[in-house]
Amino acid sequence: MKKTVFGAVSALVLGMSGAMAQDYPTKEIQGIIQWGAGGSTDTVMRSVTPHAEDVLGGTIVMQNMTGGVGAIALNHVAGQKADGYSLLMGAENPLLYKVMGLGDKDYTDFTPISILALGTPILVASPDAPFDDYAGMMDYINEHPGELRMGATGPGGLPSVVTAMMNTVEGDLDVISVPYDGDGPALTALQGNAIDVMPAVLGAAIEGIRAGKMKPLAVFDLDANDKLPDAPIVTSFNADYSDYLPWGPFFGVFVKKGTPDDVVTKLSAAYAEAAKSPDFVELMDNRGFSMLAISGDEAEAFLNKWQQNTAWLLDDAGLTKKSPEDFGIMRPAEK
Amino acid sequence: MDAFMAFLTVFSHPELLLLVGVGTFAGVYVGAIPGLSVTMAVSILISFTFSWDVLPAISLMIGIYMGGVYGGSRTAILLNIPGAPSAIATALDGFPMAKRGEAGTAIGVTTVMSFIGGFIGIGVLALAAPFVSDFALTFQPRDYMLLAILGVLLVGSLSSGSLLKGIFAGALGIAIGAVGRDPLTFTSRFTFDLSIMESGISFIAVMIGMFGVSEALLQLQHVNKASIRQKISRIVPSLKTVRKHLPLSMQTSTIGVIIGALPGTGGDIAALMAYDHAKRVTKNPERPFGDGAIEGLVAPETANNAAVGGAFIPMMTLGIPGDAVTAIMIGALYIHGLNPGPMLMVDQPDMFWFIVGALITANFFMLLFGLTGIRLFTKIVEMPRSVLIPLIMLLSIVGAYAVNNSITDVYWMLGFGFFGYFMRHYGYPLGPVILGVILSRLLDDNWRRAIISEREDLGRFFYGIVTSPLSLTLFIAVLLIFVSQTPIWSWGKAKLFGRKQGQS
Repeated sequence: MKKTVFGAVSALVLGMSGAMAQDYPTKEIQGIIQWGAGGSTDTVMRSVTPHAEDVLGGTIVMQNMTGGVGAIALNHVAGQKADGYSLLMGAENPLLYKVMGLGDKDYTDFTPISILALGTPILVASPDAPFDDYAGMMDYINEHPGELRMGATGPGGLPSVVTAMMNTVEGDLDVISVPYDGDGPALTALQGNAIDVMPAVLGAAIEGIRAGKMKPLAVFDLDANDKLPDAPIVTSFNADYSDYLPWGPFFGVFVKKGTPDDVVTKLSAAYAEAAKSPDFVELMDNRGFSMLAISGDEAEAFLNKWQQNTAWLLDDAGLTKKSPEDFGIMRPAEK
Repeated sequence: MDAFMAFLTVFSHPELLLLVGVGTFAGVYVGAIPGLSVTMAVSILISFTFSWDVLPAISLMIGIYMGGVYGGSRTAILLNIPGAPSAIATALDGFPMAKRGEAGTAIGVTTVMSFIGGFIGIGVLALAAPFVSDFALTFQPRDYMLLAILGVLLVGSLSSGSLLKGIFAGALGIAIGAVGRDPLTFTSRFTFDLSIMESGISFIAVMIGMFGVSEALLQLQHVNKASIRQKISRIVPSLKTVRKHLPLSMQTSTIGVIIGALPGTGGDIAALMAYDHAKRVTKNPERPFGDGAIEGLVAPETANNAAVGGAFIPMMTLGIPGDAVTAIMIGALYIHGLNPGPMLMVDQPDMFWFIVGALITANFFMLLFGLTGIRLFTKIVEMPRSVLIPLIMLLSIVGAYAVNNSITDVYWMLGFGFFGYFMRHYGYPLGPVILGVILSRLLDDNWRRAIISEREDLGRFFYGIVTSPLSLTLFIAVLLIFVSQTPIWSWGKAKLFGRKQGQS
């Protein structure tokens, strides 16, 4: 008796999962946002997802799950079924979990649905800082070793990568690194002169720069940014930066590896369509993000390259807990 | 003139008025349920109002925010479970009042005082926002640290019995707050390599457990005792009562606005500081604090509602959130195509005046919804204990789960509930534990930032304190309050004023 019931149930389950692929979605989809409410990842996901829902014809219930630099959310989704009903909405950080000793899972355990957009780093200074551009800052550091206070957001965050880049290109900088729990609080501290300079994503600093509350020192990109055409690019001060650029944080939607291909296709198509909607494009443009909206092999290749470049950059700067080699992350080919 | 028209937008559009009203009503009830937070409600609303225009979306959010901050006091008074961290201080005197059968009076006073506090907060926002935000920006890490120490010293006024036990409880709270991966360097602290400790202990779970579950366990001892009949003679406090407490409410509202405007501190700390302030300045309360003093309700409730207006100050003038809810609202403004930042006031002053108008409307609705339905609410306390205790347990479990949708939080909550029961049994106060958890990160993070910024040199650190007027003021306040709690103070006072008192 028990066996028949079990058989019937498993047949039902199998039947359902067979039917699922064509009818997907047949129930609510959970969207787990790796970062807190009100942060950039949250804003991006909450503004693109309603458009994806329209295309998909289903409901995506979004929920913030914070903690462990996003690892709590990542592990949660990794622990769900690979059926496309749990989406991970995250940023770039998980690609560094392994080398930073923060976890043993990263995006290689997931399939990218869409890598939505790429941010541009910018180095900003408080308006009272005794220098006005990148070259002035370097002179100040040389004349006043150990005096400049630079904001940081912990190992693996954007400021740590930009700082690693600067240390690699310019030689070790003798500065004080003051830790904050996010670029928002650090940029607030910058405006109150609690720190002197801060590497941040352009979108977070742009309004402060427009109002004259922060000074742009250098945009970390190969070309000038449309949003801040007057801000100098870092390669104009030191051409060696071009080896590491363009580099930037990104946002993406992921599902657990092993999700049926047609579900992945359906979701990817929905998010690709959603990323084209004018108000989302405008939002990303206003915040200084470049649209990517890539999926499939292109996204995998992007993630791979990003992880190689960044992990090795941090490793060479001595900031990692474990060598990228231990996880089979290859050193990027010399340019 | 344009500003005035923008200010009146809410009143001239019935649908906006309705949305603020609906939001406030929902906020009162969301706020009253522990675990369901305003932050959560507002972030859900972002998706919900995605396709709306910006004004209706903001109207609804402001309603929820205003109502929610007030709503936290309901369960604090009736069941001794603060609906939100900012209502912890309200429970200290509100629940004793309910136990005397004065829940109606307590809710009435709370509502009117929240209304007054809310108004003062909005007034400061409307009239002095740029000044306050400039002042808030001058707070350096060392000032936040001194503020946190000032907070830690509240242990004295939150522990009714032995000060020593209070200090133990406060230290325990600070330790609980430090568990998990440190947010600045991601180093594991007190985790003992257990994965459930990695993300830290949810503060809300500790609060619900310590207040809710321990209360339920305590009441279990008198399960057959008849419940308290509530007297509902007078709900709206008399004009005389309001006038009597007006000076105090002005002071505590000021505390609320400033603490609310500081990015990094919010209504919870404001309410506790205001409570402490009330205890210091009130010479002859009708009843002792902790036993149902009206002043113990006036102070935290004016402060936490004034903090709402305060939190909007850095948001509107600088695009910097004053607390978690305004952080989400900034996100909402982005999504609706606005660019919150220092230029918002210049580019779109109408938005500012619209928000001020909506806040005032929400404040009136709060008064309206707060004063109606009290009779029904007080019935909760009149329920037989055999019904009430399971209800408290259910509410606690649902609340703890809802914070992060995590069953681990429920275990923490139950664990701290049992622990809290034994603490109460042996006379250890619970208030300081929660205070410690709230202040733990503020103290720890800012001490580290302050000392790192000074190249880890104590000499430079103190030089920084004495050369900054703000830091020096805070430092002297810390010293004075500390000394005033030691025997040196009364000894010194007797020495200085002793003869004078003897003569008169």
